[in-house]
Amino acid sequence: MARPELEPTIGELLDRQGVSRRSFVKYCTAMASLLALPPHAARAMAEQLRAARRPSVIYLSFQECTGCLESLTRSFAPTIENLIFNVVSLDYDDTLMAAAGSQAEAAREQAMRANYGKYLLVVDGAVPTGDGGVYHCAAGRTGLDILTDCAKGAAAIVCVGTCASFGGLPFADPNPTGARAISTLVPGKPVVNVSGCPPIPEVIAGTLLQYVTSGRVPDLDEHLRPTVFFGNSIHDRCYRRPFYDQGKFAKTFDDEGARNGWCLYELGCKGPTTYNACATIKWNNAVSFPIQSGHPCLGCAEPNFWDRGSFYSPIPSPRWGKAGEVSPVQAAAIAAGAAVAGAAIGVGSVLLGRRRIARHQQEPKSPSGKGNEE
Amino acid sequence: MDLVDFARGPALKVAFVIFFIGVLWRLVNVLLLRHKRNLSEPRRSVGASVWGGLKAMGSRSWPHPEFIKRTITGEALGYSYHIGLFIVILLFAPHIIFFGSFIGIRWPALPNSVVTIFAVITVTLFVAVLFRRLAHPVLRRLSNFDDFFSWFVVALLLVSGLMATAHVGAPYPTILGLHILSFDLLLIWYPFGKLMHAFYIFPTRAVDGYLLTRKGAPS
Amino acid sequence: MTTLAQIPVCVEPVPVSHEEGTVGGGIGAILAEIAELLERLARTGEPGAIDLRSLPLSPADRAQLLQALGTGEVDARMQVNGESRIRETAVHGVWWTEHRDSSGELLATLIEVARVPDILIVGEDDLLRGASRLRASLTLQSAAQGESPHG
Repeated sequence: MARPELEPTIGELLDRQGVSRRSFVKYCTAMASLLALPPHAARAMAEQLRAARRPSVIYLSFQECTGCLESLTRSFAPTIENLIFNVVSLDYDDTLMAAAGSQAEAAREQAMRANYGKYLLVVDGAVPTGDGGVYHCAAGRTGLDILTDCAKGAAAIVCVGTCASFGGLPFADPNPTGARAISTLVPGKPVVNVSGCPPIPEVIAGTLLQYVTSGRVPDLDEHLRPTVFFGNSIHDRCYRRPFYDQGKFAKTFDDEGARNGWCLYELGCKGPTTYNACATIKWNNAVSFPIQSGHPCLGCAEPNFWDRGSFYSPIPSPRWGKAGEVSPVQAAAIAAGAAVAGAAIGVGSVLLGRRRIARHQQEPKSPSGKGNEE
Repeated sequence: MDLVDFARGPALKVAFVIFFIGVLWRLVNVLLLRHKRNLSEPRRSVGASVWGGLKAMGSRSWPHPEFIKRTITGEALGYSYHIGLFIVILLFAPHIIFFGSFIGIRWPALPNSVVTIFAVITVTLFVAVLFRRLAHPVLRRLSNFDDFFSWFVVALLLVSGLMATAHVGAPYPTILGLHILSFDLLLIWYPFGKLMHAFYIFPTRAVDGYLLTRKGAPS
Repeated sequence: MTTLAQIPVCVEPVPVSHEEGTVGGGIGAILAEIAELLERLARTGEPGAIDLRSLPLSPADRAQLLQALGTGEVDARMQVNGESRIRETAVHGVWWTEHRDSSGELLATLIEVARVPDILIVGEDDLLRGASRLRASLTLQSAAQGESPHG
């Protein structure tokens, strides 16, 4: 099939649909605003996007809840239909596609053959590796097998959601299925992590759009997340930040501080250690985000967020053992135990010292022995 | 497990246990020291001597008028950075949550900007103290590894804390992890170095004052 | 306290801070930047823009900024995948642009500094496409006339 040669640019496609220049500029302006690019970048983006060709996208789902895809379908800019019809060519997604069974698999294989080395692989969910990977099977193959196969010819891999990015819930202790993050299973492939449980829809769509526009993997942070969206902590961009700085905290969910909209740090907000765009892009077309709705950030975009103690224990709380926050009783018990041990060692060392002195005094052999006290 | 979870999890637990074992070991050691038998006739009653001991805790903490000109620099520096340390340690909101979770209560905090100002002043004083120790001919000869390492451990804690507040050097979670790790280091070093003075200072003054009063000397 | 209603409620306005990067950043700084962009436009002809999403402004700040810039002579509305409104402010060459989607949700708010905002200008391709559409309808008309000479 000679599809790659015949594939028109996005601009040509839009011209055929009678999409005006103004409409396209407006779209790019909105996107640039969303991606936090400088406003003059909108024009450059419009030009680049018109000249770009829609990449083939293969979307694989493993150990996941489909919440990430649900999130993506609620993207306002670009909208899901705009994304999958105008920006990319979604050639395989077992949830969205009309085909099923062997026809769906055939579509995937055909797209992979036709675009070998050029298609974009989007992965949603962690992959179980325990017991030969039997905990995820589709079309008679294990998830690990499907991922390895599809990753081979991919230009880049975009991991959507915390499960694909860091293992997420399947990876949580005790991880019975041996679930692993995608980046640990595809050596040598460029990986972009779009974490979050789920990720913000505009962040998923924006990352894909940015890849199509620039044709390369964006700048990434140490967790392989695009710095455009994950460059600031929730805390740094939080509208309640001034209350943190002033030391005004809600102590419970129904006190005066909570009703006055003060900082939720003491109620366990993970904003300071969580890097995501919730405080700026927000959710449901910028209606709100958890902190604005009065709930502390859970830190869902960070690795191991599920295993870091209670969602409601503040960041500075000591974390001992799996249960999370340490209780005063526990602390006192450990301190008392250690204190008893310390006292015993102290008494022991004193007794030893006294015995030594006593022995020393009993045998006055050297005249220079001063019989030092203690 | 990332740095923060390690620092406030297993590392903190081990440090906490070592701290308590070490402190008790050293306290018991000192408590069970054999004293020379007091052969002098008691000049004052036990009650008066206890009062003398209590007075000594206060009077020895204040510069002696006769030497004030020679000691004032050291005293002023020492007092200032200790006050700064107490404010930063005990009145910063995250610290209150941290210490509060061990004892089950929380108390009011100072605004972060105020705490930050005190922290900066304290760091400055800390540097001054180090330079004084290096420059002062007597102090320099009196100083050993213990002095410098104890200084270093506390300075590390102060600087990493300020870096975490100012978001410089590395992402916040990394610096926070380093900050808590340096606290773990402080806990471990505490009983074995001169930081132990916090436990010794007042009881030893009291005992001294008691014995002196008992012998009839002014405490 | 016994019931929820007894807890006093007063939602505190987010305090204004002039530190960089915090909520409520000063209006003065934005006005100064606009003035700079205007001078650059006059000097080099290069247009500029400020994206208001990237600035932590409260609705009150936004209203204050709009008030400071005032109302100018042009007010254009564009129906393209939802309404867009492009208003010139009382400061000539400074435009307040709002883009909304088809359900009326605000997509972007920009302060543009330009002789005419770029989006109002008709593109080359659109000109040619318009011309060919007229030609096509003309030939269609004449063909139709040629086909039915009897009326």
